[in-house]
Amino acid sequence: MRSIRASSERLRAGARALSAALAVAVAGCSNELPAPIPAADPNGSIAYPSLPNRGGMLTTSSFGDIRTLDPANIGDGLVPQILQSMFAGLIDYDVKGRIVPDLADHWTVSEDGTSFRFVLREGVRFHDGEELTADDVKRSVERALHPSSPNPYASYLASISGFAPFAAGKAEHLDGVRVDGRYVVTFKLDAPDAAFLPLLAMPPLRPVCRSGGSRYVDTWHPCGAGPFKLLPGGWDRGRQITVVRHEGYFRLGLPYLDAVRTLFHVNFTSQRFKFTSGEQDILRDFLSPDLLKFQADPRWKPYGEYELDKQVAGLAMNTEMAPFDNIELRRAISSALDRQQLTLIRAANMRPANLPVPPDVEGYDATLKGQTFDLTAALEHMKRAGYAYDPVTRTGGYPTPIPYTTYSQGIDEFMVQVTMQQLARIGIRLDVRIVNYATFLALRGRRKQVAFGPAFWTQDYPEAGSFLEPLFHSRSINDEESNNSAFYSNPRVDELVDRARHELDAARRKKIYGEAQEIICDEAPWAFTHYYRFYAQWQPYVRGYKPHPMATTDPTRVWIDRVAGPVASRAVFSGDVYAKLFGDSPHGAPRRGPR
Amino acid sequence: MIARLGRRLAWAVFVVWATVTLAFVVSHALPSDAARMVAGPQARPQDIARIRSELGLDQSLWVQYARFMSRLVHVAPAGTPEGDKAHATCAPLVGRLHLDLGKSAQQRRPVVTILAERMPRTVVLALAAAFVQVLLGVSAGVLAASRKKTAIDHLAVGASLLGISAPTFVIGLFFQWFFAHRLGLLPLDGWGDTFMGHVASVILPALTLGVFGAAYYTRMVRDEMIGQLGQDYVRTARAKGLSRSAVVIRHALRNALMPIVTILGLDIGTLIGGAIVTESIFRWPGIGSLSVTAMLDRDGPVIMGCVLVTAVAVVLSTMAVDFVYAALDPRVRA
Repeated sequence: MRSIRASSERLRAGARALSAALAVAVAGCSNELPAPIPAADPNGSIAYPSLPNRGGMLTTSSFGDIRTLDPANIGDGLVPQILQSMFAGLIDYDVKGRIVPDLADHWTVSEDGTSFRFVLREGVRFHDGEELTADDVKRSVERALHPSSPNPYASYLASISGFAPFAAGKAEHLDGVRVDGRYVVTFKLDAPDAAFLPLLAMPPLRPVCRSGGSRYVDTWHPCGAGPFKLLPGGWDRGRQITVVRHEGYFRLGLPYLDAVRTLFHVNFTSQRFKFTSGEQDILRDFLSPDLLKFQADPRWKPYGEYELDKQVAGLAMNTEMAPFDNIELRRAISSALDRQQLTLIRAANMRPANLPVPPDVEGYDATLKGQTFDLTAALEHMKRAGYAYDPVTRTGGYPTPIPYTTYSQGIDEFMVQVTMQQLARIGIRLDVRIVNYATFLALRGRRKQVAFGPAFWTQDYPEAGSFLEPLFHSRSINDEESNNSAFYSNPRVDELVDRARHELDAARRKKIYGEAQEIICDEAPWAFTHYYRFYAQWQPYVRGYKPHPMATTDPTRVWIDRVAGPVASRAVFSGDVYAKLFGDSPHGAPRRGPR
Repeated sequence: MIARLGRRLAWAVFVVWATVTLAFVVSHALPSDAARMVAGPQARPQDIARIRSELGLDQSLWVQYARFMSRLVHVAPAGTPEGDKAHATCAPLVGRLHLDLGKSAQQRRPVVTILAERMPRTVVLALAAAFVQVLLGVSAGVLAASRKKTAIDHLAVGASLLGISAPTFVIGLFFQWFFAHRLGLLPLDGWGDTFMGHVASVILPALTLGVFGAAYYTRMVRDEMIGQLGQDYVRTARAKGLSRSAVVIRHALRNALMPIVTILGLDIGTLIGGAIVTESIFRWPGIGSLSVTAMLDRDGPVIMGCVLVTAVAVVLSTMAVDFVYAALDPRVRA
């Protein structure tokens, strides 16, 4: 039967062409962006919004998925967004990335910077109705840092006194967390740690209900003190999660929404369809052309905003392997990259990078020159490296192609084609090897395995140390799983990064980080290429939305200002036809709540 | 008959064991780290090491294999209480006979539970797609053969060629755009929340898979039917005064369907293993999308679970085809 496949190649080619035309037609038909769905209250605007509605459901989507819903086990990038709505922390970030009180009413820091005393708000209720006390904070911290917990962030909190014996299972309790009253909890550190508060604001240490116990278990039903709670059956794994309003949330009157639904595994095209038809309220995952269209459309522009720059990317050069043990060759590559041209690959999301710390992260210093494109300097560095190259005669340069290991289905798969052309101008050729992502992660962290390849890092907490320590400190070098994938070691950089972590004065810390960044840029273990930032687009009826600096979407203060019914359909037949056939609306339009 | 069934079952067990063993070795031989995938791309080595140890991935391949095989199908001790920790990841097969595929490294849930959630959805899609491809394919094939070298024949053959040549993702995206986005008649993707929602949700993915499969069936049925319609027994039947439709449907089609039975059985087995592209386009929560995610995450226990399901489905459907074929055709029984 399958021999039919071999019949008439000419006809098959014709049919393929027809299929391709069909695909183009599909794309072409949906080329124009529909108008945004207006808010119900015409007097409301972004600058002067109308009074919040109570009710309705906010729907977001992602092409990704979540695997767990426990603050003590965060292994994927999407889950902090969900946890943000379910678990409140002692402290949190505001929309500008500043640390602000949340469950804590206030806190004080000792003069030597090693003791943090938090006074909790009284009367805060967990989702199960129990009151949150200092005992719950200590229990939750110990639960998250216990060695039986699969918490990938546990070692980040190693500065808490007593962490080592506790993490080794030699102590039952963590000495550095002390309950000083029903509503007072004190954290004691071994040494001053500028990263402590930013780390505490992350989800892993957020208090969990008493049903979570003092040790992690897989079967626990998530329960915290955040604005939304998960009801039994609210998480249909691999498909969607719906969290509903926690009526006992400690901020009176909040949240406004009845529920927040997040759909998983929704491809980019489907997300666009859902968003423009009003089935989805916020869009973050764009096909590149779509993003440019939304940004260029004056009807949509007021309802879109860039999130903070949180990622840096570049090319890591393994300083332990030839030819990158030659510092001049690294400098040559760093100078040969035209970052402006590279970022045209996805201009709406990428910005040229010259420093290891992205612009929206504390410790970024705009006065630093960093790495810049300078072809003349690059050729001079090639000469000093012993591989002089004449661009006119195209003679000289590095004698053999340099192996370059990258991964499939990532943006570097496209970028490397431009990189090859740019490096060819200084006599460097690349031998590109593409592996899958999991293999790439394993190879890049293995000693003397990958000479040259893409590198990227997203802030764990918004502070320069979150980049410099894992990427360039010699302490981050390991035979396997090395986060310092350039295997770069410089005692001066180590000393500066360590000093900055213990320096609590922000201005002095910035200066120290600045010196470290200058050394790193000069010695070029990485050639920095771009910062990556996401763009969020929302419908006009979504009010009070501001991207959260860490969790992306914080629905606490969002409300829906939309007329009832499936107003959004761009269909020839609207949802009415659907309702007739199937007795339900495909759009699930939220009801308009009381004003 | 019983001896034959016994031989086939023994062979099936061997095939499933060999497939699972091969998959186990291959998934562990890949140069990647499941613990790193659990911990995330930025986790520190000490945290990854702790997770690796907790998952038992720091033990040798043979220790892991022995543990996996000894747990795969085992007999629970008499008096094992319900909820016993040692059998928390098991599913009872018959009596005290348990199936245990371990716990997903990523989801931290029993793999049997994950598969049990996905299987009904996969089976629904597989059967719906098979129904569509048989209905469309056989109808078009019969019509084309009985109207040979007419416009209907050319149309059916041309449409089938288009169906074979068009990638599934093009067909799927077109259906999504036209029926869901443009007309708003059907859900764009997903599984639905009510019974009617499930029915509505399965139509587009089943059509996408069905159109692709129907294209093959059309060509196959057409060719078989043309062969049958030229046989002496057809001429005899017509000479005896039977109507054209009676001859085509009651006599020729019955004989032409024999190859369809073979292919349909194999197709259903393969579809239960997962329609990866279609499930991804339509966000269908089945075995196919689970397999892809597990492979990308290097979630060994889930990979093994998916391989086992696929292997068992293909082996069982092949066996079923053999027996059905034998039941339909006395020559095979002989």
